[in-house]
Amino acid sequence: MEQKRKKRSKTAGENRYFGDYGGRYVPEMLVPALEELSGAYFHYRESQEFQNELEHLRKNYAGRPTPLYFAENLTRLGRGCKIYLKLESLCQTGAHKINNALGQALLARKMGKTCLVAETGAGQHGLATAAVAARFGLKSRIFMGEVDIKRQYPNVFFMKTMGAEIVPVRDGTKTLKDAVNAALKYWIEHLEDTHYLLGSAVGPFPYPLMVRDFQSVIGREVKAQLRAYENRLPDVLVACVGGGSNSIGLFYPFLEDKNVKLYGVEAGGLGPGQGENARRLGENPRKGIVQGYKSYFILDDEGQVQPTHSISAGLDYAGLGPELAYLHDAGRICFDQVTDVEALTAFKTLCQTEGIIPALESAHAVAYALKIAVEFSGRQIMVVNISGRGDKDLFVAAKELDGEGWLRFLKEEANGERIN
Amino acid sequence: MNGSIEEVFAKKKRLKIMTHVVAGYPDLETSQNLILAMAEAGADMIEVQIPFTDPLADGPTIMAANHKALQNGLTPKLCLKMIEEIRDEVKLPLLFMTYANLAYTLGLERFVSESAACGVSGLIIPDLPFDERGYDDYYFWLKECNLVGIQVLSAGLSLSRLKKILKRAEGFIYITLRVGVTGARNGMEIKSVDFIDRVKAYTDLPLAAGFGISSVEQITNLIGKVDMAVVGSHLINLFNSGGKENVQNFIKETNQAIEQVS
Repeated sequence: MEQKRKKRSKTAGENRYFGDYGGRYVPEMLVPALEELSGAYFHYRESQEFQNELEHLRKNYAGRPTPLYFAENLTRLGRGCKIYLKLESLCQTGAHKINNALGQALLARKMGKTCLVAETGAGQHGLATAAVAARFGLKSRIFMGEVDIKRQYPNVFFMKTMGAEIVPVRDGTKTLKDAVNAALKYWIEHLEDTHYLLGSAVGPFPYPLMVRDFQSVIGREVKAQLRAYENRLPDVLVACVGGGSNSIGLFYPFLEDKNVKLYGVEAGGLGPGQGENARRLGENPRKGIVQGYKSYFILDDEGQVQPTHSISAGLDYAGLGPELAYLHDAGRICFDQVTDVEALTAFKTLCQTEGIIPALESAHAVAYALKIAVEFSGRQIMVVNISGRGDKDLFVAAKELDGEGWLRFLKEEANGERIN
Repeated sequence: MNGSIEEVFAKKKRLKIMTHVVAGYPDLETSQNLILAMAEAGADMIEVQIPFTDPLADGPTIMAANHKALQNGLTPKLCLKMIEEIRDEVKLPLLFMTYANLAYTLGLERFVSESAACGVSGLIIPDLPFDERGYDDYYFWLKECNLVGIQVLSAGLSLSRLKKILKRAEGFIYITLRVGVTGARNGMEIKSVDFIDRVKAYTDLPLAAGFGISSVEQITNLIGKVDMAVVGSHLINLFNSGGKENVQNFIKETNQAIEQVS
């Protein structure tokens, strides 16, 4: 038995697929770098010293464990099950992204890399990368779509302040997908001294697996915390899904607990029209091979990747993490959607009921939680992942929720009329 | 019908030239004319890229051409038709180069057989490595349709992987002169020169080299090292600045220079 388990864990490291999804569909020139990364990752994953170092940083730098908070007012509003919030928003740099950034930066240092390159959509992953680069004395270069730079200026400012170089991406849709392309291409040209710190559970192997491992701390904590508070497992988990790192991080430790229902919430955007949302699993889900992995993507009939839209930059992405694709097909995770308007409403609701400002990404999960809470009994427990804080969304949310006041503030700032 | 790849390498000329065209750039008709013009000017083989929204191995020049072609409404079907129309006129081998997603979406069998039917001699799909799922299918249909699958290799490849790839390689081996994306640059990396020697030691197949070629001199420097030079982005730049005559002049000058050095 012991031997059997050992054998399985070894082959797990070599299998690049989740069911039929994932893989390492990259030009041959990237293969050596990905093999080097896999080798280093599977080596250090087993190293107690590495894990201890990471645990120390999680606790003292990232601020883990993050609270699992019983949201009494939200529960009352939902008129159904008890709602707990996992507050990843209280992590250093304001989102779950730091969990993965810390792990990969530590790995990059062990591999002797001196530069980190990363893509970012909402800016949370870029911010986390900039932070760990500053912490470890590494250079960082962050690729960010021009559209996202405009809507996430606060994060751009803080990344720069931490010493990161921001590279605007003007190709294609000028959002997250194109930032991934640009970061990958930069990496291809600088393999020797650079680690590509991919921020979501997407891309070629070993990224989906490695990012999932580093993010699984979320689900492990939830499990332990809930055992302490309620002495039981949750009944429902809800998380928003862009590429899928916060959702797989929450879900993964519960996959074997078959009674725990898992809900992934995609960006419904403005509606069902083409280019109006970021639903990979909508009416006619399409499979493809893009950015080094096989999964569900938003494609046209010919296989060209289509533009996406979401009010939240972090969900505005055409691909779904391959492990989530596999779990979708297996019927383990249910996927549904929440629109821009519903997310904004939930953003406001969580501010007003609990005094918690969620990221617009996480607000999708909150909106969905409030939709389905009523389907469960008062004795049942739901955990919603508040993957990030909403401070970064000031410019988007204020324009929508406080149009006049916000415009007046901006005008006064621009005219230098404000008194400091 | 087109000449075969073997015939090209059997020619006496000391260094062959493969040129690159993005189908549909700047528009379908112009790209079709460009293929004819390249053949007329003395290209030995032409690589026709079927545009994709996310061309992972391509630098800014070819990426921009891909996007422009797609904006103009180019589809793989139109691209195949465009080649079919001129296949009897072009007396040299044509290759399709594209990314895995377009082949996968159409279906590997259909993609390979329809490519064969329109008259190309081989395919280059850089993001479909030999050891990923789907490759065996792809390889099967290549054999079935009598097409060759060209492998693109770069310095840094492990010896064990190189040997495995060479077992399946056919036609010629395409070696990148830099580890990086496509695009006109200067010079070639020392490690790539070493890599060319290494590949030579393990295969009798002809070698082609590309990525970063932007001058006649760079091409003549390849004489004796490889059998064919591949020029892509530089030709797009030449086209953008001076049209197809500019492209033809470069091919002619290159061929003259190869003659002189030989």
